[in-house]
Amino acid sequence: MLTPKERLHTVLEGNKADRPPCICPGGMMNMITEELMQTVRIYLPEAHTDAQKMAGLAKAVYEQGCFENYGVPFCMTIEAEEMGAKVNLGSRIYEPHVTGYVIDTVSDYGKLPEIDLSKGRVKVVLDAIRILKEEGDVPVVGNLTGPVSTASSVMEPVVFYKEMRKKNQETHAYMEFITNQLIKFGTAQIEAGADVIAISDPSATGEILGPGFFREFTIKYINRLIDIFREKGAQTIVHICGNMNPVYEEVNGIRSDALSFDSVVPMKEARTKLEGRVLMGNVSTYALEFAEPDKVRTLAENCVKNGSDIISPACGLGMKSPLANIRAILQAVAKEEEYASH
Amino acid sequence: MSLKEELLKRMSDGVVDMEEDEVAEAAQEFIDSGFPAFEGIMNGLIDGMNRTSVLFEEEEYFVTDVLLCSDAMYAGLNVLKPYLPEESGDNKKKAVIGVVEGDTHDIGKNLVKIMMETAGFQMIDLGRDVPLQKFVDTAKEEQADLVCLSTLMTTTMGGMKTVIELLKDAGIRDQVKVMVGGGPVSQSFAAKIGADGYSQNAVEAVRLAKDLLQTAS
Repeated sequence: MLTPKERLHTVLEGNKADRPPCICPGGMMNMITEELMQTVRIYLPEAHTDAQKMAGLAKAVYEQGCFENYGVPFCMTIEAEEMGAKVNLGSRIYEPHVTGYVIDTVSDYGKLPEIDLSKGRVKVVLDAIRILKEEGDVPVVGNLTGPVSTASSVMEPVVFYKEMRKKNQETHAYMEFITNQLIKFGTAQIEAGADVIAISDPSATGEILGPGFFREFTIKYINRLIDIFREKGAQTIVHICGNMNPVYEEVNGIRSDALSFDSVVPMKEARTKLEGRVLMGNVSTYALEFAEPDKVRTLAENCVKNGSDIISPACGLGMKSPLANIRAILQAVAKEEEYASH
Repeated sequence: MSLKEELLKRMSDGVVDMEEDEVAEAAQEFIDSGFPAFEGIMNGLIDGMNRTSVLFEEEEYFVTDVLLCSDAMYAGLNVLKPYLPEESGDNKKKAVIGVVEGDTHDIGKNLVKIMMETAGFQMIDLGRDVPLQKFVDTAKEEQADLVCLSTLMTTTMGGMKTVIELLKDAGIRDQVKVMVGGGPVSQSFAAKIGADGYSQNAVEAVRLAKDLLQTAS
């Protein structure tokens, strides 16, 4: 039998494994819940700022039978915070979120500090990865906020979206700066021991940007990250939110090892339109929070049937999702393995 | 084409083409030529936003485009508004709108606000990361007809349900309609938490609001 790490690696290489891996990367794709925290007595928001606790919670996700990976961090505010944004670290039920921007226009990006790997929550994440790396058989997923989402966390997104058109060249200069910071943080995660880097760019959807800007901004800068991370030896997963219909063709231009979608994208449709790609997804997080385990099992089985290569939640988990529901995904996926071996 | 028609077309086209300065200029000429401001708003600016809505629904335009179109519309509105006659008795429907506590993503909320303002609603914008009780307090103080709740995060969806419960506790659930929207929200979620309606995008939100309040469109 494959270890979780071998299984994920095999599937991300585009090969068949004994069964699909069942993972939840972390970052925007939150996998921490109230019940999990209570079970292991490690809590948010403390674990956002303490490497031991962060690693402890990440381990709990695997040890409690939820997902077959470790993943850190549990939010998408670190990059912006390190560039000066004010962040509210949230609570046991709310994720951290940005409450204060740093610049008013893309033209002012020269005022932003560079990400410093030796301090703050960047260091917490890197230390947590080093701790998790010691465990061996479980893949460590490091998470990054995508370039457009980071850019629009450091300044007001409405202004940012408008300046993509109005100050096009300056917006690109700003994106270059942001992307370089992400390369720095991502590379450090790989050097600390991350096997996979997952990039989520929820503010860069085709629905918001349309195909033109999606190509010009989302894909261009995400691909730059991917190419460098591949050189450094990590595999990559990219999660794009929203409806893919306006941008299927463009999405196929993202060079990540796997593509992940939220639940508005029917897996069957994605399978047909993105032939040959490794797809990840997309068990409804709504069902995970509000439905019964049986329903979750059915949804997970359908994901497998409809051609998903890596089974995962469609989005970040609601913090009140019951553990029984979360465990039901892996139970359903592991049962497939039983069938296969008979 | 008469001068008036020409100026109205310039305003409408200017909104669709995201030309802020052009719209403001045409609006000024419209006023300088002695035409009524109200007509300029309705048949010029709003007409442009309505055409923008159609392009948005047809996926010709995307959020980034609509934001710039609305800037152009507001540029014209700033010119024309001072020339509107004093309104006799405000009979605009009032809506409280905001992003629920824990979430700061407000693009969707802003679009809904723009579209609903365009459609004649008076919008009270509470912004983002709004404490849940504030929706209720504001709805009560302002005697609002509608409460519009938005979130893009799964983790904060539960707050919408809480707002509805708080409205009940405050005894005003019957006096307001509640509509919900945002990425992870669905029709079935809306039904489950007892909201009056769900809309998938900003254009639909306007239709829904009108339906719920049964105002003539």
